[in-house]
Amino acid sequence: MINEMRSYFLLVPVLLFLLLSTAAQAVDDPLDVYVVNYPLKYFAERIGGPHVKVTLPVPADVDPVYWTPKIADIGAYQQVDLILLNGAGYAKWVNTVSLPRSKTVDTSRGFKDRYITVKETMTHSHGAEGKHAHEGLAFTTWLDLYLASEQAEAIAEALARRRPQLQDEFRANFQSLEKDLLALDGRIRAIVSANNTVPIIFSHPVYDYFVKAYGLNGRSVHWEPEQEPSSAQIAELRNLLETHPARWMIWEGTPVKPAVDVLHAMDIQSAAFNPCGNVPSDGDFLTVMQQNVVNLEPVFR
Amino acid sequence: MHSFYLAWKYIIYNRIKTAVLVACVTLIAFLPFALQLLLEESERQLTSRAVSTPLVIGAKGSALDLVMNTLYFGDEHPEAIRMEAVNRIWDSELALPIPVYTRFKARGFPIVGTTLDYFEFRRLEPASGRNMAVLGECVVGARVSADLNLKPGGSLVSSPESLFDLAGVYPLKMKVVGVLEKAHTSDDLAVFVDLKTAWVIQGLGHGHQDVTRLTDPSLVLKRSGSNVAATAKLYHYMEISDKNIGSFHFHGNTDGYPITAVIAVPADEKSGTILQGRYLSKNENQQILRPKVVIDGLLQNIFRIKNVLDAVVSVVALATIMAIVLVFALSLRLRQSEIQTIFKIGCSRLTIAKLLAAEIMIIVAASGFLCGFLLMVVNRFTNDLVRRLFIG
Repeated sequence: MINEMRSYFLLVPVLLFLLLSTAAQAVDDPLDVYVVNYPLKYFAERIGGPHVKVTLPVPADVDPVYWTPKIADIGAYQQVDLILLNGAGYAKWVNTVSLPRSKTVDTSRGFKDRYITVKETMTHSHGAEGKHAHEGLAFTTWLDLYLASEQAEAIAEALARRRPQLQDEFRANFQSLEKDLLALDGRIRAIVSANNTVPIIFSHPVYDYFVKAYGLNGRSVHWEPEQEPSSAQIAELRNLLETHPARWMIWEGTPVKPAVDVLHAMDIQSAAFNPCGNVPSDGDFLTVMQQNVVNLEPVFR
Repeated sequence: MHSFYLAWKYIIYNRIKTAVLVACVTLIAFLPFALQLLLEESERQLTSRAVSTPLVIGAKGSALDLVMNTLYFGDEHPEAIRMEAVNRIWDSELALPIPVYTRFKARGFPIVGTTLDYFEFRRLEPASGRNMAVLGECVVGARVSADLNLKPGGSLVSSPESLFDLAGVYPLKMKVVGVLEKAHTSDDLAVFVDLKTAWVIQGLGHGHQDVTRLTDPSLVLKRSGSNVAATAKLYHYMEISDKNIGSFHFHGNTDGYPITAVIAVPADEKSGTILQGRYLSKNENQQILRPKVVIDGLLQNIFRIKNVLDAVVSVVALATIMAIVLVFALSLRLRQSEIQTIFKIGCSRLTIAKLLAAEIMIIVAASGFLCGFLLMVVNRFTNDLVRRLFIG
């Protein structure tokens, strides 16, 4: 009888230990975070460190802005601890799916009043709504590196809300990231300030925030770096050059040689500025942006 | 035993008189018990839901309509508020806002537009299928599934608001992707959709052919350099599929889109109190309510009515019992010669008393049995009866 009671008494601390260790494990488990683009993944990983497991379920060869998730992907988004959205109309699929608001953070909501609107030139009307255009928003917000730091801050706050006991660590990590982003911002400002009115052409209309933030004189065409431009595209560029005599085209990636040659014949040089929407094949967000800054130097010299 | 045999024979012979007596006793016993059953069920349904819903925010007006519509999806629709109300709570960081939009119906069942947070808040899990994932999908309550024979993979069409509303919103064919576990609440009787799907039903979001690329001249009313005006023939999609989902869009700022109410789940009691304080201004056009307070007020009224009914039933019961006593007294007088005969053939007065007692016991037992049966029937349908009588 005494032996039986003794074994019960021994069982109590063991159960208590198991209970406490389970609770501790729940707190220590990394937060499962899903994001919609690579900059957010990079920011969340820098801020969260080992306390987060960040997933960007977009294939490496797809631009996340145009990716459409399958039902299984949406199910995965619904199950995680935190969903980080870019906002500003980035990833239109977000508007047609059901995501739990309690887990969703729109990282650009804090500067909603600074969104850049891109309006379709063609308006249309049907039904009782009258004339309207499907307005769009420029979405590569992180190309204004100051706004990128605000997005990073929103991520730090979201992580701290979910793991209050780690908020000091998240804050310190955010400050380190903010320092890096603002240093890059400062370098770009220093580079462009020498000659920021120089006309430039962007190969894709995704640089609105970059143009606005650094006061550039840029216009966009719609060329793909991996494709040779068509005659129509070349004609469009010639027209544009009449009012906008640019000597540099800034590409999303390294352009194919025929495209470079076409531009060279028009006395236009090429430089790459990778928006880094998806995971880079080499390096990370910071190294890609540092390389972008290096690539920009000759443009504004 | 012989007394019961003779009493039974007497009762069978006087069927009509017995039937009337049994009916009277049954009704008098049944009424208060049935009323009690209904009130207990209404109290259970109303209170449990109200207690589990901390705060409700909606347009100023009838507090009862707002709570009944938000909690039980009742037919009285309060005035709509704007989606901004949700963002206001969200930005305050005092509570989790869960929007609810209950304007539409599908085959008689309310369509509830909300977010996935509602399911987590009410602890609703799909018994089969999955949760809604994309625009145009719906998850149905257990009773909806049973009554309409709906299963995941089926479809459900939203009903037009008015039969004569020919220019109104197009019905939307929704895909049923899940059936919720039985919750024994109003959720069993609802069709849940994403808030954005509810807005599509309303016509605020829609999908149609790309009007800037129309080639059929009958679809184009007027075309200029910067505008294309489409005719009424332009086809709007009435079902959202993988092929056309990309064409669905919302016009204007969704912050101004309508919702019926917001369920606010505060982080703690203090946050709830602070949030309530923010809706006290005279210029405020929204009201914040604690559903428990509103429902307690309703229950107090119901119980006040119950007390009146109890008094009425008591008086009627007393009158009935007196009438029954009278019936027995008159019956005894009418049966005087019969009793004399029984006495003369050698039965004692006690035997005669036993005979009468057996008759009364048979009548009471029959009434008890009938009353029990009726109460079982009422008990089976209390859920529906309560919804019909008290919730609407």
